[in-house]
Amino acid sequence: MKKIGLFFSASFFAVTFILIPCLRSSLAQEAAGNSPAALFYQANIYYQEGKYDAAIKGYEKLIDLGLESGNLYYNLGNSYFKKGELGLAVLSYEKAKGFIPNDGDLKSNYDYLLQRLSLEPQLFGNWFEKTVCTLFQAATIDYLTIFLFFIYIVLVVFLILGLFFSRLKRYSGMVLCVLAALFILSAYALNRKINYLSKFAVVISNEADAKFEPLENATTYFKLSEGTKVEVVEKAEGWYKVRRFDNKLGWIDKSTLKLISR
Amino acid sequence: MDKLKNITRSLKFPALGLTLAFYVLSFTPCCFAKELSFEATVDSGKVSLGSSLQLALNFSNAQNMPAPELPVINGFQSRYLGPSTMMSIVNGKVSGSITHNYLLLPTKVGTFKIGPFKFEHNGDKYTSNQLSIEVLQGQVQGPAQPSSQAEPEIKDLSDRLFVTIQVKKDRTYLNEAVPLIIKLYVNRLGIRDIQYPEFSHEGFSVSAFDKPNQYQELRNGVNFDVIEFNTSIFGLRPGEFKLGPAHIKCNLIVQKQRKRNSTLASNNSFDSNIFDDFFGRFETYPLDLKSGEIAFTVLPLPEENKPVDFSGALGSFGLEVTAAPLEVKLGDPVTLKMVVSGEGNFNTVGVPKLKSEKGFKIYEPQIKQETNEKKFEQIIMPMSAEVKEIPMLSLDFFDTQSGEYKTINRGPFPIIIVKPEKEEELKIVENKQLTPAVFVKEERLGRDIIYIKDTPGLLKKKSDYLYKNKIFLVFQIFPLLLYLITLVLYAKKQRLKTDLRYARGLLAPRKAKAGIRQAKKYLDKADAQKFYDTLFTAMQEYLGDKFHLSSKGITISVIDEHLRKNGVAEEALVKLREIFRECDMVRYASSQLTQANMRDSLIKLEEVIDYLQRRKI
Repeated sequence: MKKIGLFFSASFFAVTFILIPCLRSSLAQEAAGNSPAALFYQANIYYQEGKYDAAIKGYEKLIDLGLESGNLYYNLGNSYFKKGELGLAVLSYEKAKGFIPNDGDLKSNYDYLLQRLSLEPQLFGNWFEKTVCTLFQAATIDYLTIFLFFIYIVLVVFLILGLFFSRLKRYSGMVLCVLAALFILSAYALNRKINYLSKFAVVISNEADAKFEPLENATTYFKLSEGTKVEVVEKAEGWYKVRRFDNKLGWIDKSTLKLISR
Repeated sequence: MDKLKNITRSLKFPALGLTLAFYVLSFTPCCFAKELSFEATVDSGKVSLGSSLQLALNFSNAQNMPAPELPVINGFQSRYLGPSTMMSIVNGKVSGSITHNYLLLPTKVGTFKIGPFKFEHNGDKYTSNQLSIEVLQGQVQGPAQPSSQAEPEIKDLSDRLFVTIQVKKDRTYLNEAVPLIIKLYVNRLGIRDIQYPEFSHEGFSVSAFDKPNQYQELRNGVNFDVIEFNTSIFGLRPGEFKLGPAHIKCNLIVQKQRKRNSTLASNNSFDSNIFDDFFGRFETYPLDLKSGEIAFTVLPLPEENKPVDFSGALGSFGLEVTAAPLEVKLGDPVTLKMVVSGEGNFNTVGVPKLKSEKGFKIYEPQIKQETNEKKFEQIIMPMSAEVKEIPMLSLDFFDTQSGEYKTINRGPFPIIIVKPEKEEELKIVENKQLTPAVFVKEERLGRDIIYIKDTPGLLKKKSDYLYKNKIFLVFQIFPLLLYLITLVLYAKKQRLKTDLRYARGLLAPRKAKAGIRQAKKYLDKADAQKFYDTLFTAMQEYLGDKFHLSSKGITISVIDEHLRKNGVAEEALVKLREIFRECDMVRYASSQLTQANMRDSLIKLEEVIDYLQRRKI
């Protein structure tokens, strides 16, 4: 009886002093139009009205508040697409892919955007890296983290059970090899995805010159069109040294591209 | 049959004609198409007094020319030696020449000009070139009379064996291809093992040498065998440079001087044994021939009037462009074939550029480079039905002849883009059970992006990933800890199963505690007999388990010796002895001990067990 009484007291305390004030604050924010959801809906209305600049401003305000989601980046990408800033649209869709990689709408829009830019899907690295990326392309960073944790738990459980059940020991070698291989592949894919955010960038200007040296008057080595993905391998003042999907390296003006992580 | 005869007759006449032509060509003094030329040569430009040299008067494209009668030549006496003829048929063209040879014997020292020789035949007048011959007082060494010391001989050969280096022009632009010719001149000397030339070329890039040419050249009236090496050089940076000297390594073959011990009788033509030729009559001397140097200027490309799209092409070029097909469906490929021809550095020639790439998808070209042309084959794909023409193609280059930038434009090329006949394609899906066939309409009226999302989805903090969550990271330790604990427990269990000593030692205090607890009950009941029986059993079992001994065989003497070995304190041993004694007193002597004595015994046993457990003996 004492326990039941304590539970009700605690619940009452929580509802009175924690939940109700939070709810009030949320409602107040909603009413004032400052809540993240309100900002999102407001930006959607601008998009529906064809006010793409305002819609972009609205979505980016949410991002400035330190929030992000797949749908948010998807809508932002759509807005940039409609505005004609296709490089920034690629950047937004790339960010959205980090959250909702299996979203059909996103895939369709991204394909169409690449077609408009006359670009092919660009995969970086050697055959092994490309294979791993393709295998795990449907997974987000969080899903991969959970998957890794799951393999880890299965591995531990299997090892514990193997101590007590001699039958399991017969298959232990094979099972451990499979689990270890899965673990290594997943960890590699996770590492690639984390690196992808920090190292990859998208060309946002119409055309960018990749030069031999980080100098304005240096000779142009190759050109990069809008929406092209590149890997940033080195940074200098005002310049990024980038690698194209065909492994060509060149220095590119910092202002002509944007990192996916930003 | 008549038809067959006609065919045979018609075949006979051409065959006869061919036979006649062959005979005419073979046996008649041919009617040479080329003009007749008259040339005078000597076998050496220098001769010593007392020696002789050979004068050759050559009539090319003629074979029946009589020997000209030489005029009196100042400083020489002449003697006709005879004619030699040569005939060659190259690609069906017949050419021939006749050379009349004369022996010239110098009569005084000096430099003499002989010729030009004039000759008249069948009303035609011929005039040869003039020659200059130096007559020296001393011995002029020749290959036929070499000395045994090779070095002085080679020094004297500089006018008969030398290397020249020359370029077509000595001022060039950066990256401009300039032909370079290195010639090896040889006059009546045996040379072999000739290596490709080497030369210093700082500031230049040099192409590989072509296959060398071999021919004869008249130089200052002396006929030389020439080996010509051709290559191209490219200036890598502007400035003034020196090319050369060019080195050619080869071996000179000289005849060994014969021993002088032969008798007069043996000094005849039979004296030259054929085996001498095989066994050392000739010797080879390695030579490193060196040419002169050439001053060379490399000019930078002018910045003035430089086209925006200039990519470094240097030379004088022409451009031909063809595009096919010029009527295509939307999205079908069109091939652009571009041929850049002319003279210059083709390595610097890039693919001609389209003025605009709008409405086209452009693929990387395939490139094929030949000696005097570079071919590009590029696929372009119209991506819009609005496209009406392939835009103009242009090639920018710097003309090194005129020293100015030039642009060649080709096109635009009109093109017809055929739209797909129907935007909506009909596909027939046949169903064997259902007749007639069902028509399924595949709708595709256009394409645009899919609409925005209504909800923001799961909004979360930026960069808030699970792998960065501290609680999640800490939690990773627990499964590992769980495994380690299980492993330790498992190992302990396994030891208990297999290691009896360990198992008895581990169980000893537990069993002793149980015995002591039982003894306490008898203490409360003041049942001394049972108390000491229980106490003794507990003590015996504890000590037996603890030291892996048979419990039944535990006596004070056995355990005393064992504990002493393990360094147990004397106090504990005294206590044990007292307990043993008290137990024996009650169990065998029926002594009546008080409850206080019993408690005292119990405490002593607890203290001993506690001591032994703490000492971990």
